[in-house]
Amino acid sequence: MTTASHREQKLALISRLKASYPELPEWTSGDMISSDRFWAYMKCPQDQGGQLSAAEPFLEKEEEQWELMTYILCEVLGWGGIWVSEERRRIADVEIGLSVYFGLPYYFRWLWAATKTLVEKEYISWGELTDRLVEVQDRYAGGLNGQLPKAQPKFEGDGSNVKRNRWVADSLGKGDPGMYSGQAGPAKYNVGDRVKVRDLPALLYTRTPEYVRGAEGVISRVSYESPAPEDEAWGREGDRPEWFYIVRFKQVDLWDSYHGPESDSLQTEITERWLQASA
Amino acid sequence: MSEHHHDHDHEKTVKPMVDEITEFEVLEIALRELCIEKGIFTAEQHRIYTEFAEQIGPTPGAKLVAKAWLDPEFKKLALTDPIEACLQVGVDWLNPTGSGTISDFHALQILEDSPTVHHVIVCCLCSCYPRPLLGNSPEWYRSPNYRRRIVRWPRPVLAEFGLEIPDNVEVRIEDSNQKHRFMVMPIRPEGTEGWSEDQLAEIVTRDCMIGVALPKPGVTTNVKTKTIPAIRPVGS
Repeated sequence: MTTASHREQKLALISRLKASYPELPEWTSGDMISSDRFWAYMKCPQDQGGQLSAAEPFLEKEEEQWELMTYILCEVLGWGGIWVSEERRRIADVEIGLSVYFGLPYYFRWLWAATKTLVEKEYISWGELTDRLVEVQDRYAGGLNGQLPKAQPKFEGDGSNVKRNRWVADSLGKGDPGMYSGQAGPAKYNVGDRVKVRDLPALLYTRTPEYVRGAEGVISRVSYESPAPEDEAWGREGDRPEWFYIVRFKQVDLWDSYHGPESDSLQTEITERWLQASA
Repeated sequence: MSEHHHDHDHEKTVKPMVDEITEFEVLEIALRELCIEKGIFTAEQHRIYTEFAEQIGPTPGAKLVAKAWLDPEFKKLALTDPIEACLQVGVDWLNPTGSGTISDFHALQILEDSPTVHHVIVCCLCSCYPRPLLGNSPEWYRSPNYRRRIVRWPRPVLAEFGLEIPDNVEVRIEDSNQKHRFMVMPIRPEGTEGWSEDQLAEIVTRDCMIGVALPKPGVTTNVKTKTIPAIRPVGS
């Protein structure tokens, strides 16, 4: 157990962690919250495009062994039918919250998402997780002595009764999104159509970035049929796929103060539900 | 982080941090053990995926570009049926599971640069990247620094990579935000007449296939080389 002194140090550290507007108190009432501020707080942390930022150096990074293992863990969980990757993104890139999104390493968020999913979906209990954390900690309490820590599963379990999603079987040999081909009905838009991105009140999760909301562009490609990310994010099965489109925008239409040539453009991929026809 | 049963000043007697296991390692190991014990996945699946992850890199992407430069028919295939074209450079997008990787999907587009359009790829929402063809993304590609700025201030950001695109060339940013994965096919540079496929592939760096660099005879490395070191790197 930690000491009284260490406990106070930790409390002092956590009280410096701020994740709100400094001009607002830490306990607000509705009258203090304008619509813009509401949506600022609700903005998905992952939606970084166009946010203000000073120039920082572009760095490479040597990969930690635990980072590689985390990547593999998450992918193999998908292979095991525990989740699809969009569920990971919802948890790791949005639900984790702005503080941890910026504060803890990229691959920790993958690891946290795997942990949360396994507990939420009742594959492991909090008790099983915590007991195992203690066991692994104790195993290496004397230090690593220059070695990599190792996983030591006690046995290989029988996986035949593990609940798995349909994605694994349905995608075998076909790939995703090809497996959904023919399920969305006719595409509403064609290449060359002018479209406007709807400004929907998007709570919880979306992959339509805020920097294109309300903007007009042109269909550059009719992509594929797939369930929407807003459905896949919760591991839903059986939703009707919709058509996805690559939409091309002029940068001068996206950004009020774009400095580059008028011909500069940006393309991104948007689902049919997010688009409406434009004149 | 451990359950010490003493009351002295911890700072003076703690082992050097580099030798102490991190929370990250403890959690990953705990989950892997529990998953194998519960049959959620097998040690064999983990081994297969590890082998796959350890061998991906930008070589197939570079080969694909070099082949396209040399063979107009292959270039046409790469642009119209890129997944099929990948098979010819040893990449099957259904590997290693038979359903593809979990995070890279099965929908590739190769963006061909022209004298009037230069492409640059980003994933603003996370770090979507064509791993089977290019390996894992560089750290900077995942950073808010790149994701925030490349879509809104593309030319200044490209200039930080040493790349200045003339004003009469359209800079087209591809924000890779859904299931499509993208790779840039740059223009074959001057001074490469008579080169073999291997020679050409050598100058098609990862950065060229993201779009933050252009291929140049004699340049076989990526632009940014400063590397944050790991405490316990892969395979250490």
